Order: sequence, then structure tokens, then C-alpha cells
Amino acid sequence: MATVELPGAHDTAGAGDVRPPGARRSQPRARWASAFPPLRGLLPLGAALALWQLAGREDSPYFPPPSRWAQGLADLWERGLLWPAAVQTLSTFAVSLAAATVLGTLLGLVVGASRTVDRALSPTLEFARAMPPAAVVPIAALLIGYETTMKVAVVTFAAIWSVLLNTRTGVRSLDPVLLDTARCLRLNRFDRSRKCVLPALLPSIFLGVRVAAPVALVITLLVEIVTRIDGIGALIATAQRNYLSGQVYGLILVAGLFSFVVNGVVSVAQGYAFRNRPGR
Amino acid sequence: MAVLVGFWELLVRGGVVEFDFLPAPSGIAAALASLAASGDLLPPLLHTLRSTIVGWVIGACAGVALGVWLGLSQRAWRYSMASIEVMRAIPPISLVPVALLVFGFSLRMELTLIVYVGAWTVLVNTIDGVRSVRPELLDVGRMLRMSRLRVVRSLILPAALPSVIVGLRLALSLSLVLAVVAQMIGNPAGLGNALIRAQQALQPEQMFAYVFTIGALGVSLNGALRYASTRAFPALAAGPTDVT
Repeated sequence: MATVELPGAHDTAGAGDVRPPGARRSQPRARWASAFPPLRGLLPLGAALALWQLAGREDSPYFPPPSRWAQGLADLWERGLLWPAAVQTLSTFAVSLAAATVLGTLLGLVVGASRTVDRALSPTLEFARAMPPAAVVPIAALLIGYETTMKVAVVTFAAIWSVLLNTRTGVRSLDPVLLDTARCLRLNRFDRSRKCVLPALLPSIFLGVRVAAPVALVITLLVEIVTRIDGIGALIATAQRNYLSGQVYGLILVAGLFSFVVNGVVSVAQGYAFRNRPGR
Repeated sequence: MAVLVGFWELLVRGGVVEFDFLPAPSGIAAALASLAASGDLLPPLLHTLRSTIVGWVIGACAGVALGVWLGLSQRAWRYSMASIEVMRAIPPISLVPVALLVFGFSLRMELTLIVYVGAWTVLVNTIDGVRSVRPELLDVGRMLRMSRLRVVRSLILPAALPSVIVGLRLALSLSLVLAVVAQMIGNPAGLGNALIRAQQALQPEQMFAYVFTIGALGVSLNGALRYASTRAFPALAAGPTDVT
């Protein structure tokens, strides 16, 4: 099933795993290969699915065989529900992640730059971060109402922390020489942030976004499942309520596909962003 | 924090913010007190706490055991890792409806979800930890003619510990999230359910009180685990604690 979306580059992966673990980071090619486990690792999953298809009862209400997953998806597609839902989910995800990145970076800059602000806000931040996002959904629903804005608000709220905290750590560990250089060159505030601070912070921010991306996707689905506002999650919840188990499993497959793609994009983007940095 | 709360109180009292359902902090505190007094707070709290911890412990044990095996056996790794990667990509949240479908509205459904998410998180981190153990360490074990169990217990687990602990912490907060979600839409018990009922009864004060309780539970679970792990393994305390 999911073999299709595995990036093609890991035909070389077989070479990656005979190497002792210590030598894994030696060449870019080996690093690339070791990021993707060998394909034959899909065997158990494939076997399990095949067994499920062959041994499972066609009309099982709880564990429908994979063929019925496809059927469920095809039904949804024909009724024109699948595509809009996918677009909804992905756009909510993208908008929220962008908002979380921008807001998280700004807040992180403020919190990281000033000890006073940091001390004043830290307890609140810690508390808000430990709050399970699910618990925020009812609040947002009451305050904002059942609409897309609410989804974006909740997802942004959940995804902002890793960006914020990583930016804060990044600001704290800025090289003082860098700031002195900017002062020597008499750069104004804007140029200083654009030419010195931001490039130096980029890896930290990126690390935060990398952690935030999967979280944002999961929370998007969560909000959709809990509130049934349009999207893949809402389709899953509706299918479950109507006992359309084939559709439920099929849609979960779609959700897994999204998450797979998001993870892939993030790790490729990270490889690109850190290409001329030594170490990890 | 006190300033923020005071600011919030002022905003609401002064009528600056005009959301229909935003109560003042004093109202929330009063609701919290009355919920605690009427005994509506403690049972759901205990239920959520119990199922989170039970599920987390089961999941963690399974995750560590499987993780050590998969991390050590080159063959098991080669023939299962890609499957694990694919399975892991499926967001655990999306399995809530499946659990609901299979187990119905029950405690089983809630626990299954918590165990599932905990086990995955711990499993993946344990595999990472075990696989990054230096090969020299295994050579040492071979040289000292240690038994397999001994190698695992006194060489591999200690070396993989930092990574395992990260997994345990992530798993604990995810367990709480899943517990609350499961209670919100599945098993009618615990804080998640209380929260939803307060929302449907249009009792924003009570709702915020429950949300606050859930947040406090999250903070204290996280803090307790951090405290326990630095207490039990002081050597790890030096590591970064900021970034999860």
C-alpha cells in the first residue's frame, strides 16, 4: 500500500545498514540512505495486510479487509467529499504552521532577549505548554464558535511552543561577537536583525518547526474529529458514527499518508537548510 | 503570571473584551472551589490520572522490551523498520474512531489507545537509543563473556537511557492527551468527559476550571517524571531540559 510514497532514493539503503553505527555519518550519501530503512522491512506489514485480506471476513463490522478500505475511499471520492476534505485539512495545517512559526519566532525573540520578560512569562508558558491541546478545543469552540478560525487557533496554539522555546534557546546562545560586529559596523536595528540575528537563529527556528509540523498535523485531525468541522478528521468521525468501518480505515490511511509526506518534506527541507553546516 | 491573570480579570470586569463566554479568573477559581467541595472534581481527576498512568506504564514496558530487541537484532531491524516507519506515520489521534468502533464506549477503548500511543513513542526512542550504542561497548561485553541478558542490563540499557527517558516523557504527555481525547469522545468518564459536559451545559466557569485542572495535571505529571528521572539518574540531569 504505502510503498508508493516512499521516496525513490533508498535503493541505496541496503548499503547503509551493514555499516557499523559509528560510521553512519561519514558520507552525505550514506547519511541520506540511513535516513530511510531498507524496503524489505515492509515485508511484515505487507504480509499482515495480505493475511488480513485473505483471512478476514468481507463483511466484518470491526476489522474490514483492505479491499473494503479502498472501496470506502472510492465511495467518498465519487460523492465528491474526499478532495475538499483533504484540501481543508491540509490548508488548516499549513496556515496554522505558518502562524505558529511567525508568532513563535516573534514571541521567542521577545522572551529570549529580556530576562525580565522571560521570568515574568515562564510559568505561564510552561503551564500552557503542558496543557493537552484537546482541552483547549472546548474553550476555543465557546469563544470563537464552530468555524475554521477556531481550528486554526487551536492548532496554532498547540504548535507554537516548540518554535517559541527553540527560538528562545537560540537567542540566548547567540554569539556576543556577532552582536558586537553588528554594532561596530553601525548597522541599524533592521539590518542587524536581518543580516546577523535572523541567519544565526535560523537553525533553532527550523528545529522548532520540525517538531511543530507533525504536532500541527495531529492536532488538526484531533480538532476535526472532536468538533466535526470539515476535513479528513470530520469524515473519519462521521464514518465511525455511521459504522462505515471501511471508510474509517481508508481515511486513516489518508491521514497516515499526509503525515508521511509532512515528515518527508520536513526532513528533506532540513537536509537542505543544513547542507553547509558541519556536524549534524 | 499574576500580572497576566490580573490583567485578564480587569479586561473582563471592565467589559473591554466582549466574548460571550469568557469568565473572569475569580469566577473560575470560585467554580473550581465549588466543584472540589461538591465532589465533582476528584473522581474524574483520579480516573484520568489512573488510566493515564496505567496505560503509560504498560505501554512503556512493551515499548522498551520490543525496542531493545529490534535495536539489537540486525535482522529484526532490517525486516521490520520500514513497516514501523509506515505505521508510525499514522497519527494516533486518527485511531480514536477505530478504537471507538471496535471497543465501543468503554474503559477498554481508552486504555487501548493510551497503551498504543505510549508504546510507539517509547519503542521508537528505545530503538534509536539502542542503535546508537557504541559498538565498542558490545565488544567489551563479549570480551568479558557476559551473558546476553547481562549485556542488555548492564551495558545497553544504561547507554540507551537518555533516549529512553526522552521517549518516556513524550509518551507521558501523549498518554494524557489521548486519555482526555478518549474521554471527550469515547469513554464517558474522567476529566475529558466532565469538560465536555460543562461545555454543553454552557458553564464556562466550570469548563475553565476543568481545563485548568487538566493543565495542572499535565504540569505535575511532567514535573514528577522529570524529578524522578533526575533523582534516579543524576548523570542525566546535565542534559538540555528545555527542548522537547
